[in-house]
Amino acid sequence: MISTRLAGKRCLVTGGSRGLGRAMCEAFVDAGAKIAFTYSTDDVDAEASRAALIAKGAEPLVFKGSVADSAHVTATIKAIVAAWGGIDVLVNNAGVTQILPIALLEEADWDQVMDVNAKGAYLMSRAVLKSMIRAKSGHILNIGTFASERVIEAPVHYAAAKAALRGMTDALAREVGRYNIQVNLLAPGLLDCGLAQMLPKHRLDEYLSQTALGRLGTAAEVAQLATFLVSAENSFMAAGKIIADGGL
Amino acid sequence: MERLLHTTTSLCKTCKEAVAASVIAIGTDVWMKKSCDRHGAQDVRISTSVDWYERTRATKQSFSAPKVVKKEVELGCPFDCGPCTSHTQKVRLPVVTITSACNLDCPICYVHNKNDNAYHMPLADFALVLEHLKTDHGGELDIINLTGGEPTLHPQLFEMLAMANAAGIHRITVCSNGIKLAKDEAFVARLAQFGARIALSFDTFDPHTDKLMQGAHLLDIKLETLRLLDKHGVDCTLIPVMTRGINEHEVGKILEFGLARSSVRHIEVHTMTFTGQSGTSFQADGPSPRSGRISMYEVLEEIERRTDGLLVPSDFVSSPCAHPLCYQIAYLLLDPDGGAPIPFTRFMPAAELYAALSDRLYLEPGPRLEASLSAAIDRLWAEGDEDDPETQRTLRLLRRMLDLMFPSDRPLTREQALRAGEKVIKAVYVHSHMDEETFDTERAVDCCDSNCYADGTTIPVCNYNVLYREKEATFNATPAHWGERRGGQRSFILPVLR
Repeated sequence: MISTRLAGKRCLVTGGSRGLGRAMCEAFVDAGAKIAFTYSTDDVDAEASRAALIAKGAEPLVFKGSVADSAHVTATIKAIVAAWGGIDVLVNNAGVTQILPIALLEEADWDQVMDVNAKGAYLMSRAVLKSMIRAKSGHILNIGTFASERVIEAPVHYAAAKAALRGMTDALAREVGRYNIQVNLLAPGLLDCGLAQMLPKHRLDEYLSQTALGRLGTAAEVAQLATFLVSAENSFMAAGKIIADGGL
Repeated sequence: MERLLHTTTSLCKTCKEAVAASVIAIGTDVWMKKSCDRHGAQDVRISTSVDWYERTRATKQSFSAPKVVKKEVELGCPFDCGPCTSHTQKVRLPVVTITSACNLDCPICYVHNKNDNAYHMPLADFALVLEHLKTDHGGELDIINLTGGEPTLHPQLFEMLAMANAAGIHRITVCSNGIKLAKDEAFVARLAQFGARIALSFDTFDPHTDKLMQGAHLLDIKLETLRLLDKHGVDCTLIPVMTRGINEHEVGKILEFGLARSSVRHIEVHTMTFTGQSGTSFQADGPSPRSGRISMYEVLEEIERRTDGLLVPSDFVSSPCAHPLCYQIAYLLLDPDGGAPIPFTRFMPAAELYAALSDRLYLEPGPRLEASLSAAIDRLWAEGDEDDPETQRTLRLLRRMLDLMFPSDRPLTREQALRAGEKVIKAVYVHSHMDEETFDTERAVDCCDSNCYADGTTIPVCNYNVLYREKEATFNATPAHWGERRGGQRSFILPVLR
């Protein structure tokens, strides 16, 4: 879907090498944005993502590293600002999860999931805010999860990290709203990529039976929603929490 | 001192007419005693442990009768198969005999085969079998077993595999002696494409025993087959037939071999049955005829002895969907670091493993298994000894299994996750078929393994092997004929703890 909704917007998506991250990169490019994305490990996926964006006529900036690594974050933002002069949109999408019961959840697991999902969003947000405050404009969109919004079984550390994102969204939105920076949270339900692929069939069936629409979301349709949320058309939403889960 | 345990209906070992039988405890042994009007008194030891026999037989089963019944009771069990109105179980392990051709003539062969003008099941008939299985037995088809003869000799085997795939069956097993597979790597590669599993007969490492049981020296062929299965990622089940005094001492070595091979998912130990074209005459003569007969409990004891307690009889549970004396099942968690595999029953109560098996012959992912594993993890963690290395090792291995199934750096598909989990879990089954001497209609009526026909007829495998197959021209140049079919058990008034 080609539009001009993000024409000229300088967008950074973390975790853009696959799944929803890649879909958002593509949707943003379709809407006229300049795109940069980060990824942590999978070079093959990252190259596929880069190729898909180039095929759309974009010139993506691609950075490899963990969002929990402050040196990587600093270097990434510095490079993007040097190339583009600033950043208009940050999507904190990078995340990891582990399917673990509390009995097997070790301190290192907790730290890893909190580091990537919560601390990573903090590091990235803090790093881009300088540029956004200078511009007195910007969108930060945190990608949460239905697991922190609905009463369902979810790994404790993952749900906690995503709930932290919700708190961070509220607080940061209030703190930087005065600079016309809008911070919001988008919490998708199960999509046709990622976790839904791994769930046992009975789990998936149970989930779908409890949703109004009775189907998985697609990464593309959530990416379309994200495109609106970071666009100028979304001018009055701050500390918003948008749940797109097919009506769980 | 004798004690009557129960009565049943068996068969005369000579004329195969049905005869009343008593199952009696004599000392620690369990014997079946019966008498044929024409062929006199007969008895056979069916277990070496009265305690185990009574306890196991009393296991409560999970019954699910076939949706479609093909025959009214007319002659009595086991002469009305189809299934008849008495049968308690739908087919859980459909066995489809797709060919009468075989490239071996094993001295222990318990079926009848025919190579002259060999029968190969037409694809149209196979399609009908699949359709009947879906409509007559509840729709859900998760496993099918193709057998023969030697199924790899069927000229349209791969078309059949494609049909089974298209029918949504995710576990397609193909019995084989391995000869074709060892010689044709491309054939193995094609099996991999269809996700088929090989059920490979594997009785011994000893050349003399090989010759005695299989009639040929096959060890090198079996090893080459396994090498190719490993190479191409084709899963397999090893099927050793245990015969007392001949190869039962090898059971530990075979189990350890199977547990260590990446392609081997299960080991299914069978007890020797003296029926079929060769099995009937195996050890028929000599001072101790049929001295190779071995009971289920003896195999379990032998496994304990020969594996230094890696598995003990209490690690096994019955199958909930078969007669409890027919299957004994143990699941093990593997240790990739080389430690001994851990039987599931060491970290979850046997009753929970039994419940997790639910109404299937094999453990399948589902709410029940998930709940059982969650409870086991919580119990080990909350109640286990923090200083006990075995408790901590078990928790580590369970954690590793979850990490393999749900890696944090990239999502796997459901099928990939399932296969990743399967790589660290193996099962040992002990399966006791019946022959004319040990035949017990109480077991036959609860059977969930059936030979399946294109017209929808299903015949429990033991009944088929002992009574029905020898009468089919498809498998016999000179088919046998039914006798009077006297004495069949017409009703099951006092079923086992139903």
